[in-house]
Amino acid sequence: MLRRKRKDLGGIPTASMSDVAFLLLVFFLSTTKFDIKKGLGIVLPAASDSTTKKVRLKNENLTKIWIDKDGIVTLKSGGNEQVVPMNDLQKMVNQIVKDNPDMVISLKTDRKSKYQYMVKVLDKLQAAGAEKISLSTN
Amino acid sequence: MANIKKSARPETAIPTASMSDIAFLLLLFFMVSTVFVREKGIPVRMPKAASIEKIPRNHSATIYVNKNGLISIDDFVVSIPDVKYVMQKKLAEDFNVLTCFRTDKDTSYGIMSDILNQLREAQTLRVYFEAKLLR
Repeated sequence: MLRRKRKDLGGIPTASMSDVAFLLLVFFLSTTKFDIKKGLGIVLPAASDSTTKKVRLKNENLTKIWIDKDGIVTLKSGGNEQVVPMNDLQKMVNQIVKDNPDMVISLKTDRKSKYQYMVKVLDKLQAAGAEKISLSTN
Repeated sequence: MANIKKSARPETAIPTASMSDIAFLLLLFFMVSTVFVREKGIPVRMPKAASIEKIPRNHSATIYVNKNGLISIDDFVVSIPDVKYVMQKKLAEDFNVLTCFRTDKDTSYGIMSDILNQLREAQTLRVYFEAKLLR
């Protein structure tokens, strides 16, 4: 009777498996870039042409905010017009919106003004809970 | 003298058998969450804001504007009057397109105003101004 030779069981060595896994892990850890975009959202009004109806706003429902080229903010609500420091803007707008929820806030920025001033004011307006914001593009 | 026998202590060792499982789990997480950025854009320093919200990525078209007024969409430099046509094409491809501005904080607002007018004409009215979180 022939005696069969005992064969070695063929197997893949798994001891270095974690090394391989960690190597790949480190690669993905170092190359991953979380592409999460965050920003301030707004919906623009449609372009005005002959078919669009113009809505006339009552004066008491309109607050105007101007930003001049140096970033100085002027607020006109009702009859009075005043220069507002950036830190007080949120509080003031919050009060205005609380008093009149239909208030539309029109934001006009000087063409020579920096973009960051507009974003800063828009940020304050949104933080103050103003929902009707109009960005005037001239 | 009484012979006190030391009790045999169990060997303390951290089991390493599941190490590769953990590694693979983390690996899978990073593989799934990795996004290869498709466009390079132009370098800008974004403004900071506090009340920012997450922008849905799958419908967004990004417009880069640097402080010199250079405008880039999909890695192509475009002039202000062309923004309208590019955005109209984007609107035709995706009805829910939203425009995402990556504008340098020192850009003059006049350029932004002109681009916003172009967007209004192209009927792409949903706009996000990208900003970094103010801490």
